[in-house]
Amino acid sequence: MMATIELKNVNRTFGTGIGQVQALSAINFQAQAGELTLILGPSGSGKSTFLTIAGGLRRPSSGQVLIDSQNIQDMNKHELERLRLNKIGFILQSYNLLPYLTVAEQFQLVDRVKPNGNLNREELDQLMRELDIVQLKNQYPDQLSGGQNQRVAIARALYTNPSLVLADEPTAALDSERGAAVGQEFQRLARQKNKTVIVVTHDLRLRKYADRIFEINDGKIKQTK
Amino acid sequence: MFLAIREIKHNKLHYGLIIGMVALIGYLMFMLTGLMLGLANQNTAAIRAWDTKTVYLNKDANDNLSQSMLTKQQAGKLDDHEALVGTVPVVLKKATTHHQDKQSIQFMGISKDQYLYRHKLQLTTGHKPTKTNEIVLDTSLRDKGYRVGDQVKLADQSHPYRVVGFVKNAKLNISPLAIGSLSTWQELKGMGNQFVASGIFADRALTAHHHSQLKKYTANQFIQKLPGYTAQNTTFLFMIGFLMVISLIVIAVFLYILTMQKLPEYAVLRAQGIPVSTLIRATFAEAMLLMVAGVLIGLFLTSGTALVIPSAVPLLINWPLTLLIGLSLIVLGTIGALLPVRIITKIDPLDAI
Repeated sequence: MMATIELKNVNRTFGTGIGQVQALSAINFQAQAGELTLILGPSGSGKSTFLTIAGGLRRPSSGQVLIDSQNIQDMNKHELERLRLNKIGFILQSYNLLPYLTVAEQFQLVDRVKPNGNLNREELDQLMRELDIVQLKNQYPDQLSGGQNQRVAIARALYTNPSLVLADEPTAALDSERGAAVGQEFQRLARQKNKTVIVVTHDLRLRKYADRIFEINDGKIKQTK
Repeated sequence: MFLAIREIKHNKLHYGLIIGMVALIGYLMFMLTGLMLGLANQNTAAIRAWDTKTVYLNKDANDNLSQSMLTKQQAGKLDDHEALVGTVPVVLKKATTHHQDKQSIQFMGISKDQYLYRHKLQLTTGHKPTKTNEIVLDTSLRDKGYRVGDQVKLADQSHPYRVVGFVKNAKLNISPLAIGSLSTWQELKGMGNQFVASGIFADRALTAHHHSQLKKYTANQFIQKLPGYTAQNTTFLFMIGFLMVISLIVIAVFLYILTMQKLPEYAVLRAQGIPVSTLIRATFAEAMLLMVAGVLIGLFLTSGTALVIPSAVPLLINWPLTLLIGLSLIVLGTIGALLPVRIITKIDPLDAI
C-alpha cells in the first residue's frame, strides 16, 4: 500500500556552532491510510518538530518529506499553504476554532477559501451526527465544553476531506473519560473513514487505540508497536 | 466581509465603543466644517449673493474696504456692471421706543442708478429704499426684533431712518448690513461730499473702465483680505486636518491592539492553510465597516443638530462637502488598517503549535 506520508532520512537542527541542537536525527517514517499512528515522547524530545515538518509548517535541514508521493521540499510558501488546506487536517491543542464564529460558520469559512472538494451537506450532517455535535450548530466555541470543542475541531479538520490528519496533544485539556472518547474517535476516523491519522502526544491513555506507536527520544525515532 | 461582520456582531460592546468614538470624531469634524462655512458665509454672503467678480479700492486702503475712500475723480466713469459702494460700521437702535438693544452692523450706501440696487438686492419683504431716509436690513435683524416700518437710528444721527424692507444674504465681514443711499453713507462717515464711495463692486471680471488710480481685486482676493477671514478659516482647517490625522491614528491603534489579541487565532488559521489574503481582507473590511458605521452616525447627529441649533450659531451644512469629508474619513480609517495588516503578513503558522 502507498504511504500517505513518508519522511526519508529527515534531519533538523536549530542554531549554529556550539549552540546547535539536533532536534530530529535521521528520521525514516511512513504512515498509511486506515492507520492510527501515535508519536510518543517526553517534552523536548522533538515530537513537535516532527509534527511541524510532517505538516509542511517547517522545512527539514536535510532529507525528504513526501505527502501523497509529492516531495513538499520543492514547494514554495503558497503551494505549502494549499497543501495544508487541501490535504492536511490539523487538530490542535487550542481547538483551532474562531471564537466569533458559530459551529456552522466555522465550516462556512472553509467554503469561502476552498469552495470545492469539501464534504457535501449530507456528509457533513453525517459527520456531525457521528461526533454528536449536530445540536451545537448555532453555538459559539465559548458556549461549548472542552470535549464538545474538541469534537467540533475534529469535524472542522475533516471537513476539507484531507488524506492526512495531524493531531497535536489533542487530549491535553481533557479528563480521562473525554480523552478516551477522543481516542476512540481517532481510531474510528482511521478505520472507517480510511484516513491517515498521526497523533503526537505524551498521553499514554491513547496507546490502546493506536495501530502503530513510535517513540521519539533525543530526536531519534523508534517503533514500539 | 464574512469574518469582519461576524466578529463585530459577536463583540458588540467592544466594536460599539470604537464606532462610537469614530462617530464622535466625525460629528466634531462635520460640525466644525459647518461652523467654518457658516462663519465664512457671514463674511462673504453679500459678495457671493451679488455675483461680485471684481472690487476696486483706494491704493492706500491697505486692502480694507472700511479704510478705503474714493474721490469722484478716482472713481472715474462706471459702466453698467459697476457700482459704487460705501461702507461704514455703525450702531443700529430703534428710535421709536426706549428699546436699549443695540446692534453693531455695517451701513452700506449704494446708488439707485447702478446694478447693485437695480438687480442684486434679494428682498424678502418690503421694497427697496427710494428716499435717503429709507433703509433695508439683513434678514438676521428680523430675529432681533426689527420690523418693516420701524424707525431706527444709525450711529449718533439725530434723525431717524425708516426700515422699508429686508434683504437676504446681506452680510459682510460677519456683520449684518443696513443698506441705504450713498448720501447717508457720506453723512455717517462725516466727510461731506469730498468722497463718493469706499470702493467699486463689479459683476464682471473685465469692465469697460480700468480705474487706473485704484487697486483691483478679484472677488476671491478681496475675500481673503477681509479682516480675520483667512486666520479664521485656517484655524478651522487646521482643526479639521488634525482631527483627520487623529482619527487615522486612533483607528490604526485600535485595530493594531485588536489584531495583536487575535494573533494566536490567526496563526491557527494560517497553519490550516487559510491564505493571508483572507485575513488581510477581513481586517480592511472590519476597518471600513467601523468607519462607515461611525461616519453614518456622525452624519445623523450632525443633521439632527442642524435642525435644532439656535439661529444665532452660524452653522451652514454643505452636504456634498460634508459627505466628501465623511468619505475621506472612511478612506483614512481604512488606511489605518495598514498597520495591523503588516503584522498579519508576518504571522508564522508555527505559532499555532
